[in-house]
Amino acid sequence: MLKAHLTRDDAEQYILGALAPEKAAALEAHTVECEPCARLLQEEALLEEQAHEVAATFAPREHRVLRPAAWGGRRVAAGAMSALLAAAASLALVVHRGGTPPPTSLPPSAHASAGPVVEFDEGAEVPQVVMVACPDLATEAECTQSAVARGLLVLSPGGVAEVPRYEGHSGFPAGALPSGPASL
Amino acid sequence: MSAAVQDLRMTAVRVREETEESAAAPRREDELLAKRALAGERAAWDALIARHDRRVMVSLLAKGVRADRARELVQETWARLIQQQQRGLLTELRLPNLALTQAAFLAADDARRTRRESLSGSVEELAERQHPVDPAASAEKRLLSEEQLSRAHEALAQMSPSARNVFLLACDGQELPHAEVAVRVGLSTQRVRQILCEVRKRLRAALEEETHA
Repeated sequence: MLKAHLTRDDAEQYILGALAPEKAAALEAHTVECEPCARLLQEEALLEEQAHEVAATFAPREHRVLRPAAWGGRRVAAGAMSALLAAAASLALVVHRGGTPPPTSLPPSAHASAGPVVEFDEGAEVPQVVMVACPDLATEAECTQSAVARGLLVLSPGGVAEVPRYEGHSGFPAGALPSGPASL
Repeated sequence: MSAAVQDLRMTAVRVREETEESAAAPRREDELLAKRALAGERAAWDALIARHDRRVMVSLLAKGVRADRARELVQETWARLIQQQQRGLLTELRLPNLALTQAAFLAADDARRTRRESLSGSVEELAERQHPVDPAASAEKRLLSEEQLSRAHEALAQMSPSARNVFLLACDGQELPHAEVAVRVGLSTQRVRQILCEVRKRLRAALEEETHA
Protein backbone atom coordinates (compact mmCIF):
# COMPACT_ATOMS: atom_id res chain seq x y z
CA MET A 1 0.00 0.00 0.00
CA LEU A 2 1.50 3.26 -1.06
CA LYS A 3 -0.48 5.80 0.90
CA ALA A 4 -1.31 5.96 4.55
CA HIS A 5 -4.67 4.61 5.63
CA LEU A 6 -7.64 6.85 6.08
CA THR A 7 -8.64 8.19 9.42
CA ARG A 8 -12.30 8.77 10.14
CA ASP A 9 -11.52 12.45 10.10
CA ASP A 10 -10.10 12.21 6.56
CA ALA A 11 -13.15 10.36 5.36
CA GLU A 12 -15.41 12.92 6.98
CA GLN A 13 -13.55 15.82 5.41
CA TYR A 14 -13.77 14.10 2.05
CA ILE A 15 -17.50 13.56 2.38
CA LEU A 16 -17.99 17.19 3.41
CA GLY A 17 -16.02 18.28 0.36
CA ALA A 18 -13.39 19.99 2.47
CA LEU A 19 -10.37 18.32 0.90
CA ALA A 20 -8.30 19.82 -1.90
CA PRO A 21 -9.02 18.12 -5.25
CA GLU A 22 -5.68 16.32 -5.42
CA LYS A 23 -6.03 15.05 -1.86
CA ALA A 24 -9.54 13.87 -2.60
CA ALA A 25 -8.34 12.05 -5.70
CA ALA A 26 -5.54 10.39 -3.74
CA LEU A 27 -8.04 9.30 -1.10
CA GLU A 28 -10.36 7.83 -3.72
CA ALA A 29 -7.45 5.99 -5.32
CA HIS A 30 -6.44 4.58 -1.96
CA THR A 31 -9.90 3.22 -1.20
CA VAL A 32 -9.89 1.33 -4.48
CA GLU A 33 -6.92 -0.66 -3.25
CA CYS A 34 -7.62 -0.81 0.44
CA GLU A 35 -10.74 -2.53 1.64
CA PRO A 36 -10.90 -1.35 5.27
CA CYS A 37 -10.52 2.25 4.12
CA ALA A 38 -13.21 1.77 1.51
CA ARG A 39 -15.51 0.48 4.18
CA LEU A 40 -14.74 3.45 6.37
CA LEU A 41 -15.55 5.78 3.50
CA GLN A 42 -18.78 3.94 2.85
CA GLU A 43 -19.77 4.31 6.48
CA GLU A 44 -19.19 8.04 6.35
CA ALA A 45 -21.07 8.32 3.06
CA LEU A 46 -23.94 6.38 4.54
CA LEU A 47 -24.04 8.68 7.53
CA GLU A 48 -24.17 11.65 5.19
CA GLU A 49 -27.13 10.15 3.35
CA GLN A 50 -28.84 9.45 6.65
CA ALA A 51 -28.16 12.99 7.77
CA HIS A 52 -29.96 14.25 4.69
CA GLU A 53 -32.88 12.04 5.51
CA VAL A 54 -32.93 13.35 9.06
CA ALA A 55 -32.78 16.94 7.86
CA ALA A 56 -35.51 16.37 5.29
CA THR A 57 -37.88 14.95 7.87
CA PHE A 58 -37.05 17.32 10.70
CA ALA A 59 -39.78 19.80 11.44
CA PRO A 60 -39.12 22.39 14.09
CA ARG A 61 -41.45 22.17 17.02
CA GLU A 62 -44.62 24.03 16.31
CA HIS A 63 -45.20 27.20 18.22
CA ARG A 64 -48.31 26.99 20.26
CA VAL A 65 -50.74 29.68 19.37
CA LEU A 66 -53.50 30.83 21.62
CA ARG A 67 -56.52 31.93 19.73
CA PRO A 68 -59.26 33.67 21.63
CA ALA A 69 -62.49 32.02 20.55
CA ALA A 70 -64.93 34.87 20.31
CA TRP A 71 -62.77 37.89 20.61
CA GLY A 72 -64.34 41.12 19.51
CA GLY A 73 -67.64 39.37 18.92
CA ARG A 74 -69.58 41.64 21.14
CA ARG A 75 -69.51 45.35 21.34
CA VAL A 76 -70.52 47.18 24.49
CA ALA A 77 -70.92 50.75 25.51
CA ALA A 78 -67.80 52.86 25.16
CA GLY A 79 -67.28 53.14 28.92
CA ALA A 80 -67.27 49.41 29.58
CA MET A 81 -65.41 48.63 26.42
CA SER A 82 -61.85 49.21 27.55
CA ALA A 83 -62.41 47.25 30.78
CA LEU A 84 -63.83 44.35 28.85
CA LEU A 85 -60.96 44.36 26.41
CA ALA A 86 -58.39 44.47 29.17
CA ALA A 87 -60.11 41.51 30.80
CA ALA A 88 -60.31 39.69 27.51
CA ALA A 89 -56.64 40.27 26.88
CA SER A 90 -55.56 38.94 30.24
CA LEU A 91 -57.84 35.94 29.86
CA ALA A 92 -56.38 35.21 26.49
CA LEU A 93 -52.88 35.50 27.77
CA VAL A 94 -53.12 33.03 30.58
CA VAL A 95 -50.35 30.70 29.69
CA HIS A 96 -48.99 27.50 31.10
CA ARG A 97 -45.25 27.49 31.04
CA GLY A 98 -43.30 24.40 32.04
CA GLY A 99 -45.75 23.32 34.67
CA THR A 100 -45.63 26.54 36.65
CA PRO A 101 -48.99 27.87 37.70
CA PRO A 102 -50.44 30.33 35.23
CA PRO A 103 -49.93 33.99 36.04
CA THR A 104 -53.35 34.80 37.31
CA SER A 105 -53.38 38.53 37.08
CA LEU A 106 -57.01 38.90 36.31
CA PRO A 107 -58.50 42.22 37.25
CA PRO A 108 -61.60 41.97 39.42
CA SER A 109 -63.80 42.99 36.53
CA ALA A 110 -62.79 39.90 34.61
CA HIS A 111 -64.96 37.66 36.69
CA ALA A 112 -68.00 39.79 36.16
CA SER A 113 -67.74 40.13 32.40
CA ALA A 114 -68.47 37.16 30.21
CA GLY A 115 -65.16 37.33 28.41
CA PRO A 116 -64.17 35.12 25.53
CA VAL A 117 -63.16 31.60 26.36
CA VAL A 118 -59.71 30.27 25.71
CA GLU A 119 -59.43 26.52 25.69
CA PHE A 120 -56.35 24.74 26.91
CA ASP A 121 -55.57 21.14 26.26
CA GLU A 122 -53.95 20.34 29.56
CA GLY A 123 -52.37 17.11 28.49
CA ALA A 124 -50.54 18.67 25.58
CA GLU A 125 -46.78 18.87 25.49
CA VAL A 126 -45.46 22.10 26.93
CA PRO A 127 -44.34 24.23 24.00
CA GLN A 128 -41.06 26.07 23.91
CA VAL A 129 -42.57 29.28 22.70
CA VAL A 130 -46.02 30.52 23.37
CA MET A 131 -47.51 32.82 20.85
CA VAL A 132 -50.54 34.95 21.13
CA ALA A 133 -52.70 35.34 18.10
CA CYS A 134 -54.22 38.75 17.83
CA PRO A 135 -57.38 38.03 15.94
CA ASP A 136 -58.17 41.24 14.16
CA LEU A 137 -57.12 44.81 13.71
CA ALA A 138 -59.77 46.16 16.04
CA THR A 139 -58.41 44.40 19.11
CA GLU A 140 -54.81 44.12 18.03
CA ALA A 141 -53.60 47.14 19.98
CA GLU A 142 -54.88 45.85 23.32
CA CYS A 143 -53.71 42.35 22.61
CA THR A 144 -50.26 43.54 21.70
CA GLN A 145 -49.99 45.75 24.75
CA SER A 146 -50.94 42.91 27.03
CA ALA A 147 -48.32 40.80 25.39
CA VAL A 148 -45.74 43.53 25.92
CA ALA A 149 -46.34 43.32 29.63
CA ARG A 150 -45.68 39.58 29.61
CA GLY A 151 -42.92 39.38 27.05
CA LEU A 152 -44.82 36.98 24.84
CA LEU A 153 -44.71 36.49 21.12
CA VAL A 154 -47.42 38.12 19.14
CA LEU A 155 -48.97 36.69 16.04
CA SER A 156 -50.69 39.57 14.38
CA PRO A 157 -52.10 39.96 10.90
CA GLY A 158 -48.83 41.69 10.08
CA GLY A 159 -46.72 38.66 10.97
CA VAL A 160 -44.92 37.16 13.92
CA ALA A 161 -42.75 39.21 16.16
CA GLU A 162 -40.97 38.86 19.41
CA VAL A 163 -42.04 41.56 21.70
CA PRO A 164 -39.05 43.82 22.25
CA ARG A 165 -38.31 43.83 25.95
CA TYR A 166 -36.81 47.28 25.94
CA GLU A 167 -40.18 48.83 25.31
CA GLY A 168 -41.24 50.51 28.49
CA HIS A 169 -44.53 49.44 29.88
CA SER A 170 -46.28 51.35 32.57
CA GLY A 171 -48.25 48.41 33.88
CA PHE A 172 -51.43 50.43 33.64
CA PRO A 173 -54.22 48.87 31.62
CA ALA A 174 -54.80 50.29 28.19
CA GLY A 175 -56.72 53.49 28.28
CA ALA A 176 -55.84 54.28 31.89
CA LEU A 177 -53.55 57.04 30.76
CA PRO A 178 -54.88 59.99 28.86
CA SER A 179 -52.39 59.55 26.03
CA GLY A 180 -49.37 57.60 24.85
CA PRO A 181 -46.00 57.25 26.58
CA ALA A 182 -44.65 60.26 24.70
CA SER A 183 -46.63 62.59 26.92
CA LEU A 184 -45.37 61.15 30.20
CA MET B 1 -52.46 53.72 18.46
CA SER B 2 -49.63 54.29 20.85
CA ALA B 3 -46.01 54.58 19.82
CA ALA B 4 -45.12 51.23 21.41
CA VAL B 5 -47.67 49.39 19.36
CA GLN B 6 -46.61 51.15 16.21
CA ASP B 7 -43.08 49.96 16.80
CA LEU B 8 -44.24 46.45 17.39
CA ARG B 9 -46.07 46.27 14.17
CA MET B 10 -42.99 47.46 12.34
CA THR B 11 -40.96 44.76 14.06
CA ALA B 12 -43.47 42.20 12.97
CA VAL B 13 -43.26 43.23 9.36
CA ARG B 14 -39.49 43.36 9.43
CA VAL B 15 -39.15 39.89 10.95
CA ARG B 16 -41.45 38.44 8.35
CA GLU B 17 -39.59 40.05 5.48
CA GLU B 18 -36.26 38.77 6.72
CA THR B 19 -37.35 35.16 7.00
CA GLU B 20 -39.07 35.20 3.65
CA GLU B 21 -36.11 36.78 1.99
CA SER B 22 -33.57 34.33 3.34
CA ALA B 23 -35.67 31.32 2.41
CA ALA B 24 -37.05 32.39 -0.92
CA ALA B 25 -34.12 34.08 -2.63
CA PRO B 26 -31.90 31.01 -3.14
CA ARG B 27 -34.88 28.92 -4.21
CA ARG B 28 -35.72 31.46 -6.85
CA GLU B 29 -32.12 31.45 -7.94
CA ASP B 30 -32.18 27.65 -8.19
CA GLU B 31 -35.36 27.68 -10.21
CA LEU B 32 -33.83 30.18 -12.57
CA LEU B 33 -30.73 28.04 -12.95
CA ALA B 34 -32.82 24.94 -13.64
CA LYS B 35 -34.82 26.83 -16.21
CA ARG B 36 -31.68 27.98 -17.98
CA ALA B 37 -30.32 24.44 -17.94
CA LEU B 38 -33.56 23.15 -19.40
CA ALA B 39 -33.14 25.69 -22.17
CA GLY B 40 -29.80 24.07 -22.90
CA GLU B 41 -27.45 26.66 -21.47
CA ARG B 42 -24.10 25.03 -20.83
CA ALA B 43 -23.02 27.43 -18.09
CA ALA B 44 -26.17 26.66 -16.11
CA TRP B 45 -25.48 22.93 -16.36
CA ASP B 46 -21.93 23.51 -15.18
CA ALA B 47 -23.16 25.43 -12.17
CA LEU B 48 -25.69 22.73 -11.30
CA ILE B 49 -23.14 19.97 -11.72
CA ALA B 50 -20.62 21.79 -9.57
CA ARG B 51 -23.23 22.12 -6.86
CA HIS B 52 -24.70 18.62 -6.87
CA ASP B 53 -21.76 16.49 -7.98
CA ARG B 54 -20.54 15.69 -4.49
CA ARG B 55 -23.94 14.58 -3.27
CA VAL B 56 -24.38 12.19 -6.18
CA MET B 57 -20.91 10.77 -5.58
CA VAL B 58 -21.59 10.31 -1.87
CA SER B 59 -24.88 8.56 -2.60
CA LEU B 60 -23.04 6.01 -4.74
CA LEU B 61 -20.28 5.53 -2.19
CA ALA B 62 -22.93 4.93 0.44
CA LYS B 63 -24.27 2.12 -1.70
CA GLY B 64 -20.87 0.49 -1.62
CA VAL B 65 -19.85 1.34 -5.17
CA ARG B 66 -16.08 1.50 -5.54
CA ALA B 67 -14.74 5.06 -5.70
CA ASP B 68 -13.35 4.82 -9.22
CA ARG B 69 -16.53 3.26 -10.58
CA ALA B 70 -18.62 5.76 -8.65
CA ARG B 71 -16.72 8.61 -10.29
CA GLU B 72 -17.48 7.15 -13.71
CA LEU B 73 -21.12 6.67 -12.89
CA VAL B 74 -21.43 10.25 -11.69
CA GLN B 75 -20.01 11.44 -15.02
CA GLU B 76 -22.41 9.23 -16.87
CA THR B 77 -25.31 10.46 -14.78
CA TRP B 78 -24.74 14.04 -15.86
CA ALA B 79 -24.08 13.02 -19.46
CA ARG B 80 -27.40 11.19 -19.56
CA LEU B 81 -29.32 14.06 -18.04
CA ILE B 82 -27.85 16.51 -20.53
CA GLN B 83 -28.62 14.08 -23.32
CA GLN B 84 -32.21 13.78 -22.18
CA GLN B 85 -32.50 17.54 -22.04
CA GLN B 86 -31.13 17.89 -25.55
CA ARG B 87 -33.67 15.41 -26.84
CA GLY B 88 -36.38 17.41 -25.15
CA LEU B 89 -37.24 14.59 -22.74
CA LEU B 90 -36.83 16.66 -19.61
CA THR B 91 -39.77 18.82 -18.71
CA GLU B 92 -38.53 19.80 -15.30
CA LEU B 93 -35.25 19.57 -13.50
CA ARG B 94 -35.47 18.78 -9.83
CA LEU B 95 -32.00 18.46 -8.46
CA PRO B 96 -30.43 16.69 -6.75
CA ASN B 97 -33.27 14.15 -6.75
CA LEU B 98 -33.30 13.57 -10.47
CA ALA B 99 -29.54 13.03 -10.54
CA LEU B 100 -29.68 10.75 -7.50
CA THR B 101 -32.35 8.61 -9.13
CA GLN B 102 -30.45 8.47 -12.37
CA ALA B 103 -27.24 7.51 -10.57
CA ALA B 104 -29.01 4.80 -8.56
CA PHE B 105 -30.46 3.43 -11.77
CA LEU B 106 -27.07 3.38 -13.45
CA ALA B 107 -25.50 1.68 -10.43
CA ALA B 108 -28.20 -0.99 -10.41
CA ASP B 109 -27.78 -1.49 -14.12
CA ASP B 110 -24.03 -1.72 -13.69
CA ALA B 111 -24.39 -4.29 -10.95
CA ARG B 112 -26.71 -6.42 -13.06
CA ARG B 113 -24.36 -6.32 -16.01
CA THR B 114 -21.36 -7.27 -13.89
CA ARG B 115 -23.28 -10.16 -12.44
CA ARG B 116 -24.32 -11.37 -15.87
CA GLU B 117 -20.80 -11.19 -17.17
CA SER B 118 -19.43 -13.00 -14.18
CA LEU B 119 -21.81 -15.89 -14.71
CA SER B 120 -19.47 -17.33 -17.31
CA GLY B 121 -16.45 -16.86 -15.07
CA SER B 122 -16.47 -17.53 -11.37
CA VAL B 123 -17.65 -14.89 -8.95
CA GLU B 124 -15.46 -16.38 -6.28
CA GLU B 125 -12.39 -15.16 -8.09
CA LEU B 126 -13.31 -11.58 -7.40
CA ALA B 127 -12.28 -10.01 -4.17
CA GLU B 128 -15.22 -9.57 -1.88
CA ARG B 129 -15.58 -5.86 -2.46
CA GLN B 130 -15.63 -6.24 -6.20
CA HIS B 131 -18.75 -8.30 -5.98
CA PRO B 132 -21.46 -6.40 -7.71
CA VAL B 133 -23.61 -4.46 -5.34
CA ASP B 134 -27.26 -4.24 -6.12
CA PRO B 135 -28.36 -0.89 -4.70
CA ALA B 136 -31.98 -1.97 -4.78
CA ALA B 137 -31.17 -4.78 -2.38
CA SER B 138 -29.36 -2.56 0.09
CA ALA B 139 -31.85 0.28 -0.18
CA GLU B 140 -34.08 -1.20 2.46
CA LYS B 141 -31.25 -1.49 4.93
CA ARG B 142 -30.22 2.07 4.26
CA LEU B 143 -33.52 3.58 5.21
CA LEU B 144 -33.65 4.73 8.76
CA SER B 145 -36.25 3.17 10.98
CA GLU B 146 -38.88 5.36 12.55
CA GLU B 147 -37.22 4.84 15.87
CA GLN B 148 -33.85 5.93 14.58
CA LEU B 149 -35.38 8.95 12.93
CA SER B 150 -37.13 10.09 16.05
CA ARG B 151 -33.96 9.54 18.05
CA ALA B 152 -32.04 11.61 15.55
CA HIS B 153 -34.68 14.33 15.63
CA GLU B 154 -34.49 14.37 19.38
CA ALA B 155 -30.72 14.74 19.25
CA LEU B 156 -31.14 17.52 16.74
CA ALA B 157 -33.68 19.29 18.89
CA GLN B 158 -31.26 19.25 21.80
CA MET B 159 -28.50 20.96 19.87
CA SER B 160 -27.97 24.66 19.99
CA PRO B 161 -30.22 26.57 17.60
CA SER B 162 -27.26 27.87 15.64
CA ALA B 163 -25.76 24.40 15.16
CA ARG B 164 -29.16 23.11 14.11
CA ASN B 165 -29.57 25.96 11.72
CA VAL B 166 -26.20 25.29 10.12
CA PHE B 167 -27.00 21.60 9.77
CA LEU B 168 -30.41 22.19 8.24
CA LEU B 169 -29.04 24.76 5.82
CA ALA B 170 -26.25 22.44 4.71
CA CYS B 171 -28.37 19.30 4.44
CA ASP B 172 -31.75 20.53 3.29
CA GLY B 173 -31.32 19.15 -0.21
CA GLN B 174 -30.45 22.44 -1.84
CA GLU B 175 -26.78 21.56 -1.50
CA LEU B 176 -25.71 25.01 -0.48
CA PRO B 177 -21.92 25.24 -0.54
CA HIS B 178 -20.50 25.52 2.94
CA ALA B 179 -19.09 28.92 2.10
CA GLU B 180 -22.59 30.14 1.41
CA VAL B 181 -23.96 28.61 4.58
CA ALA B 182 -21.17 30.42 6.39
CA VAL B 183 -22.18 33.75 4.88
CA ARG B 184 -25.81 33.24 5.82
CA VAL B 185 -25.15 32.43 9.44
CA GLY B 186 -22.26 34.83 9.81
CA LEU B 187 -19.58 32.27 10.63
CA SER B 188 -16.40 31.18 8.89
CA THR B 189 -16.46 28.23 6.50
CA GLN B 190 -14.06 26.47 8.83
CA ARG B 191 -16.43 26.91 11.74
CA VAL B 192 -19.38 25.69 9.69
CA ARG B 193 -17.50 22.47 8.91
CA GLN B 194 -16.55 22.05 12.55
CA ILE B 195 -20.20 22.38 13.48
CA LEU B 196 -21.21 19.88 10.81
CA CYS B 197 -18.64 17.39 12.11
CA GLU B 198 -19.99 17.86 15.60
CA VAL B 199 -23.58 17.36 14.44
CA ARG B 200 -22.57 14.25 12.52
CA LYS B 201 -20.94 12.87 15.61
CA ARG B 202 -24.11 13.32 17.61
CA LEU B 203 -26.28 11.91 14.87
CA ARG B 204 -24.02 8.90 14.60
CA ALA B 205 -24.37 8.30 18.31
CA ALA B 206 -28.14 8.71 18.12
CA LEU B 207 -28.46 6.37 15.16
CA GLU B 208 -26.18 3.70 16.56
CA GLU B 209 -27.91 3.60 19.91
CA GLU B 210 -30.49 1.22 18.55
CA THR B 211 -28.03 -1.30 17.18
CA HIS B 212 -26.40 -1.70 20.56
CA ALA B 213 -29.63 -1.93 22.47
